[in-house]
Amino acid sequence: MYIFSCKPRWEDMLTCIYEASASKMGHTNIKLVLEPIEQYSLLDQYIHVDSDLKKAECVMKSIREKISPQVYRELAYASMAYEEEILDLIYRVLLVGFSYGPDVLNMVMYREIMQFNQIRRRLGREVNHFQEFVRFHEVQKGLYVAHIEPKSRLVVALGPIFADRMPSEHFMIIDDIHKEALIHPKDEMYYLKPLNDSEYEQLLKTEEMNDTYTDLWKIFFESIAIRERANKKCQTSLFPLWTRKHAVEFMETSHN
Amino acid sequence: MRDMQVLIDIPKDTKAELQKEKTLEEKLEILSDAAKYDVACTSSGVDRAGKKGYLGNSCASGVCHTFAADGRCVSLLKILMTNHCEYDCKYCKNRKSNDVERATFTPDEICRLTIEFYKRNYIEGLFLSSGVLKNPDYTMEKIIEALRMLRGTYKFNGYIHVKAIPGASKELIYSAGLLADRISINMELPTQDSLSKLAPNKHMANIIRPMNQISGTIAMHRLAVGKSARMERAGINDHLMNSIWGKEADRIGTDATDRANRLLPGLQKDTDSFLFPADKKDLNLGRAFAPAGQSTQMIIGATNETDLELIRTTQNLYKSFDLKRVFYSGYIPVNEDDALPEPGTPVPLLREHRLYQADWLLRYYGFFADELLSEEHPFFDDAIDPKCNWALNHLELFPIEINTASYDMLLRVPGIGPNGVKKIVNARRYTKVDFEMLKQMRITLKRAQYFITCNGKMLYKIPLEHRFIRNRLMDVDSVEIADVGGQSVQYKQMNLFSDFNMSCTG
Repeated sequence: MYIFSCKPRWEDMLTCIYEASASKMGHTNIKLVLEPIEQYSLLDQYIHVDSDLKKAECVMKSIREKISPQVYRELAYASMAYEEEILDLIYRVLLVGFSYGPDVLNMVMYREIMQFNQIRRRLGREVNHFQEFVRFHEVQKGLYVAHIEPKSRLVVALGPIFADRMPSEHFMIIDDIHKEALIHPKDEMYYLKPLNDSEYEQLLKTEEMNDTYTDLWKIFFESIAIRERANKKCQTSLFPLWTRKHAVEFMETSHN
Repeated sequence: MRDMQVLIDIPKDTKAELQKEKTLEEKLEILSDAAKYDVACTSSGVDRAGKKGYLGNSCASGVCHTFAADGRCVSLLKILMTNHCEYDCKYCKNRKSNDVERATFTPDEICRLTIEFYKRNYIEGLFLSSGVLKNPDYTMEKIIEALRMLRGTYKFNGYIHVKAIPGASKELIYSAGLLADRISINMELPTQDSLSKLAPNKHMANIIRPMNQISGTIAMHRLAVGKSARMERAGINDHLMNSIWGKEADRIGTDATDRANRLLPGLQKDTDSFLFPADKKDLNLGRAFAPAGQSTQMIIGATNETDLELIRTTQNLYKSFDLKRVFYSGYIPVNEDDALPEPGTPVPLLREHRLYQADWLLRYYGFFADELLSEEHPFFDDAIDPKCNWALNHLELFPIEINTASYDMLLRVPGIGPNGVKKIVNARRYTKVDFEMLKQMRITLKRAQYFITCNGKMLYKIPLEHRFIRNRLMDVDSVEIADVGGQSVQYKQMNLFSDFNMSCTG
């Protein structure tokens, strides 16, 4: 088995797909994985692929023309998912797609399409969770910073959502796991920035800066629940514990 | 000096307020606590993009921002403007005769809370209701003042749900609807008899009349921009041959007014839409009147209506007034009164749950109220959900073949919902669907398996017999019933004597 590996970035992934199919080793003999690889196997041969913008563009163009721009969008969106098999699934979806055309994602009789759809739906739910549970802190007057710890690299998907919600505010969403920041200056387009250690250290302190409205929100959160209807199980299933890490209403008060 | 104090007769609670102005924290605690019995906290129904210079947008599917300790979604800043009230509704915590702490927000406080919470992504918008301060018109004016400030001075473009106070003038309700996204009037109790028993200051006429006018005005505003008179409904309804929104639904503006007249004679004198807002400037905002529609709420378990009456009323409200939602609120005993259940009576959570299930069957599954319940069985079965119950009573229609069944029939199979149907129909265009695929599509086979075949075969060999299937479904439902109360199912060892009625005599 030949295993092609690349960094988890969309351009790298597209280049990896290009190299894999150009290798002519037979689709059943190859596998695509994302780095870092946790466990190498002795019998397989590993081939690392670096990003090449030309090759990536070539794959992008052929997906958009031979399948459809909509399917390209779906694949690019799904590439944010944390599941390690996602790159291989995208490759398999493309194989089916090049023979069936734009309806490929409805071909649920293929196991790989079904699996891809499941991951896509799970990712959609995860993005929804963070759309709901992101909590901003006012760091300075008119500057808002939020921290999240998602499983997938989804901070870029939150960009259009919050840029539409608060077009005329300065804000920043920081992905603590993948060390990336989404930065939105007032009335401008947002952009993505990888963070180095010193920047990250500095930004970590923002969560301690609670203000009166954080306290007011906690008061509201307590008093809006009806005691006679208490249902912790329901609350936990709708607001899973792993998504609560930065939700101020569940954090201990740490006032300076 | 002492004489002066005796002469000026200040009411006790006002006196206390005069002594000490409450802080924003105290006010928020009192007024959110007073608003928590209102059920509606949805931010759904209208898509609106954000714009530069303004704060906020709106998303038609709604966004929940947190879940309170009772498991209910918190999407809006749900507060009362004031909990002072001139009315004395027996079921209400804020009734005039209750000795509770009272407070009133100023319009600016409401705006600041909304804006600051919104910027921190705590909420999706504002839900503003109020006790009746002095009289309905005065209260409504104060509410509108806050909304005008929020939309105008604070440039808020997010979601607002406002309560119309029964008895307020037409012009004021029109203005409120122009500023808000959703407007609602609480029906509270479905009949005039229960209303006069428990809410002596409220009259059905004061509820039905504005409801009718609101639905007429929404239709008028929709027609003016080239939309249909009726609100958009879940996409699945477009595929159904018949549903409460289908061909049989009354057209707003003609038949609906007749129906409202029948419900309430004397309504003819009124026109069926609002014409003038309280302030002409409200029209210049360029906003549609209540683009997310209107809703209402009914209290369950305070009076002795049957489920059939409630669900029929719900259907009529949807058909006649094109309401977007009808909410049910299980009665929580907060007051002691002869006409009410005693304090300590458990909240009818399961009954409320069953009513919501039925409500969904009306809105998403093409069912009608009279299919679900009848005069002989006017209450829902506690042990089994309404859809399973319907299927069990119509076993002659089952099993159906997944690969050939119609949209309508697929939706009526327990365990298959609108999303499942879409997936099945999509897959059917390319292949024959089998049970393995259904499992992958997350169809609840533990319910559906008794009612379907794939390529002519059922999943297991089982008898299509009422009692057998009912027992199996009750098992599945017991988990759900426990969830409603926040408990887990208790399993036990089966016992020949108690479970199979065996006795060891002789």
